[in-house]
Amino acid sequence: MSKYCQTITELREEKYLVEALKEMGYEVEVLPEGAPLGRYYSEQEGKTAHIIIRRSELKGAFGDIGFARQPDGRLVAIVDELDQQRGYGTKWLGRVQQLYKEKQTLATARAKGYILKSREVVETRDGQQVRLQFMVRR
Amino acid sequence: MQEKTITITIDEQGNAAIDLEGFEGRSCDKAFEDFRGGDRVRMERKKPVFYTSRQPEQKKAQR
Repeated sequence: MSKYCQTITELREEKYLVEALKEMGYEVEVLPEGAPLGRYYSEQEGKTAHIIIRRSELKGAFGDIGFARQPDGRLVAIVDELDQQRGYGTKWLGRVQQLYKEKQTLATARAKGYILKSREVVETRDGQQVRLQFMVRR
Repeated sequence: MQEKTITITIDEQGNAAIDLEGFEGRSCDKAFEDFRGGDRVRMERKKPVFYTSRQPEQKKAQR
């Protein structure tokens, strides 16, 4: 039997998210109890996050970017609307998730005994894809 | 015996396609669960296996 599936990545494992953000060049604060995100004007709604990149790390950003732990275990990105238009929107978050998924997949494969056969970066009409191929250990 | 391979393709949104080849029975589901990593499944299908190397011999019609 062979099978083909498509999955929607959900950020759940802090370790791989932090690794992904570090690979993108950011210093990251991990705050198990949560901390407020920095605001650029006082009327803005205050928000709390558990993983924070401070605005000093984010070129051109007005505020901090955070990831807040939800009751169901997901880590959800908090990005100000203005910053979403300044390079920290869907594409930026997609890159975070792509790195996260690759790190999670490689770590899972190692832990479960699969062998990495190849890693390719493929240019497609829909953008850059990372293709990982594994074999089952005999 | 066909080699068991798993190909994971991660797109620019970080979503993944998991392609399992050469698996039989429960080992296919196990490998899938190993790589799903708690993510939501958007689409799933089982692929038919085609054996191209063992075509039945055609008998010549005798007159």
